[in-house]
Amino acid sequence: MMDFDHDTLVALSKSWGLFYLMGFFLCVVVYAFWPSNRKRFNRAKTSILDRDDKPWR
Amino acid sequence: MPELFHRKLERSAIGFVIAIIAAASVGGIVEIAPLFTIDETIEHAPDMRVYTPLELAGRNIYVREGCYACHSQMIRTLRDEVERYGPYSLAVESQYDRPMLWGSKRTGPDLARVGGKYSDFWHVAHLTNPRDVVPESNMPAYTWLARTTLKTDDLPQHLAAQRALGVPYTDAMVENAARDAYGQATPDTDFSSGVTERYGDKTLVSAFDGVTTHVTEMDALVAYLQVLGRLTGAAYEDTAAPEKKPDPES
Amino acid sequence: MISNLTSSERQYALLIAVAVALAGLAMAALGRSDTLGVHGVIVMLFAGVVIYLIMSSLYGPEPTEDRAVSYYDDPIKVGIVLSMAWAVFGMFMGVWVAAQLAWPDLAFDAAWSSFGRLRPTHTSGVIFGFGGNALIATSFHVVQRTSRARLAGQISPWFVLLGFNLFCVLAISGYLLGTTQSKEYAEAEWYADLWLVIVWVTYFILYIATIARRKEPHIYVANWYFMAFILVVAILHIVNNLALPVSWGHAKSYTIWPGVQDAMVQWWYGHNAVAFFLTAGFLGMLYYYLPVRAQRPIFSYRLSILSFWGITFFYMWAGSHHLHYTALPHWVQTLGMTFSVMLLVPSWASAGNALLTLNGAWHRVRDDATLRFMMAAVVFYGLSTFEGSFMAIRPVNSLSHYTDWTVGHVHAGALGWVALITFGSVYTLVPALWKRERMYSAALVEVHFWLAIAGTLIYVFAMWNSGIIQGLMWRTYTEEGALAYSFVDSLVAMYPYYIARAFGGLLFLLGAVVGCYNIWMTVRSAPLAVRETDAPVVPAAVPGE
Repeated sequence: MMDFDHDTLVALSKSWGLFYLMGFFLCVVVYAFWPSNRKRFNRAKTSILDRDDKPWR
Repeated sequence: MPELFHRKLERSAIGFVIAIIAAASVGGIVEIAPLFTIDETIEHAPDMRVYTPLELAGRNIYVREGCYACHSQMIRTLRDEVERYGPYSLAVESQYDRPMLWGSKRTGPDLARVGGKYSDFWHVAHLTNPRDVVPESNMPAYTWLARTTLKTDDLPQHLAAQRALGVPYTDAMVENAARDAYGQATPDTDFSSGVTERYGDKTLVSAFDGVTTHVTEMDALVAYLQVLGRLTGAAYEDTAAPEKKPDPES
Repeated sequence: MISNLTSSERQYALLIAVAVALAGLAMAALGRSDTLGVHGVIVMLFAGVVIYLIMSSLYGPEPTEDRAVSYYDDPIKVGIVLSMAWAVFGMFMGVWVAAQLAWPDLAFDAAWSSFGRLRPTHTSGVIFGFGGNALIATSFHVVQRTSRARLAGQISPWFVLLGFNLFCVLAISGYLLGTTQSKEYAEAEWYADLWLVIVWVTYFILYIATIARRKEPHIYVANWYFMAFILVVAILHIVNNLALPVSWGHAKSYTIWPGVQDAMVQWWYGHNAVAFFLTAGFLGMLYYYLPVRAQRPIFSYRLSILSFWGITFFYMWAGSHHLHYTALPHWVQTLGMTFSVMLLVPSWASAGNALLTLNGAWHRVRDDATLRFMMAAVVFYGLSTFEGSFMAIRPVNSLSHYTDWTVGHVHAGALGWVALITFGSVYTLVPALWKRERMYSAALVEVHFWLAIAGTLIYVFAMWNSGIIQGLMWRTYTEEGALAYSFVDSLVAMYPYYIARAFGGLLFLLGAVVGCYNIWMTVRSAPLAVRETDAPVVPAAVPGE
């Protein structure tokens, strides 16, 4: 880590940090709005309201 | 593609864990990595000296009593702060501070440059009962400090630990740490001449609590308070990091 | 409790307790001339109590029922009780230190009871003692129910819970003895920190292993928050607490980070402790207990996913807003400010999501104080995240920093959000855990609610006033261009607010005491609920076993 000088690290932080952030968010948004996920999200949503109070196996 | 990827992530909890680390730690790394090389940008202060053993012991008492909960040691680059407390704090001034004691709350005033502002006598009276000196004060009274003998026998170990972390203590300083702690609180003795020899002529040697027969925790804490802001004169020089000097008005 | 362990598990638990006792012995021997020795004795006493409890039923009968068909609720019950006990302790300490600021003689001229030593007992007591135990207990509950799986261990849940409480005891007794790192919200010394790492890694493995037992591929969103909490707190804790002990016989250590690096690491930790300890974990509670109590699914599941990643990502960058106008490089300050403002988006998404879940069930919010606790918590969450983003803006921060405004902001979050969501969750959880129809007294829940709300509002308004007055007095100039007020002038102006703040805190404490009584009476005397849904519907599922 000490091989990099300060300005290089700052430049990396300022550029790639931002790209990383945007890329990450694109993935999250795609995942959240992917049509075929709707079903499983709806199931998860209501699953906790199920009154069955014991493990599945 | 991201869809399939995420389904895999979800299936195994471990994948999910990696995703959380990726999301969360990058921010920390991006912010912190440049700080590992920050010594390249820190102002230089060739005149800066290390804490004497007595001052370090006093600092540890400051830490022990949790003084940071009410007193900051960080003068911000704001006009009113500079006028109230003195030149704004530089990064280099806390380069030997472990932990840093910048603080986050001022129930009492900032102490970054309190050294030399008041007499030793004032500090002792104030610590013994703050309301004797400042009637409106809500600071706790630290009466036991003057009654408690300072533990000095392990000071060489403290200095050695600091040196292991990069503080430039010499062998002589480590070896004589306990002796020097005693010497700094007992002026005009053989012990005290060693202190100025090792830490410089400007080192404040004084019978801080007014008693020279033995060294108390009061001696140590007052010695520390009196050196705050005086390890280097860098903050008083216009040449200190002139290119990045912030605008005190903003 | 121990009767639910098999005899080999009891022996194994005994072995661990003996190992801990031996570690305590080593600490006592190595640190005999130091507070480390005192802590060694405390560790031995703690382990001794555990050893006694195990020994007293070591040869008791084996558990008869098949444990795999039921959830593991014993550690959760103990966790809830410990959490409430720490709440009363931590809040009492808070009232005491608040009173000391108004009446400094309340330290009674002793070293251990001076403000600087008591203050971290309050912060650690409420954050780790109350909040931490509540998080551990509720996470154990939520992960089992949402995964439909029993905890993946018999002893490890106890190890996590009791080990964590040993850490709390070491931390808080240390402050009273004068053993502290003086790192805000991470004051505990190196050996306690090391111990917490062991406990936390166990917690993490246990949690992951339990989730791995689930049938459904999707992990319910509440678990995401708990996982982020466990994982990131581990990272923060380790990095921030890297330190070199003076010797093996010293409690004292020196942090490896000097000066400006320490400041950055410290507030990276400090702010993310707020994010992942006091926000993510409690959002996990919110996303489970609020829908369950309201009997309505969360308004938008997608929104909860988006806000999860938003919070996980943005918070990490925001810590440097604690260091505006300091010797920290300017670009880091700006970065912290920008991300703090952006944080408002996922934070309000969570708050809005929760409020919209309640939309259509407002009559229940009106009638059910437990649900109202959670509703109020969400409102305070929304308010304090807005305030936080606002205060992170540099010019605002120049006024608010170092003043009571920060203290008011923290308590709007800690009392209004963290404590209220915890009480709401606890009131939902206690009847379910002890299989009671409802809490002992709905009226007492109501009393607790109003005490908590009144206490929070008094506290927060007092601190807003004092903070802003203080900040303005410090920067007021006379016409001649000189500072108008001395520091002491600003201190004198604070006294009425310090008294009001102590009173607000007292009300909040009384509310917690009422809550403890109500929980105690629920456990002791409420009739057993007869609900068909709780009866195991086993036969069809497990004919072969």
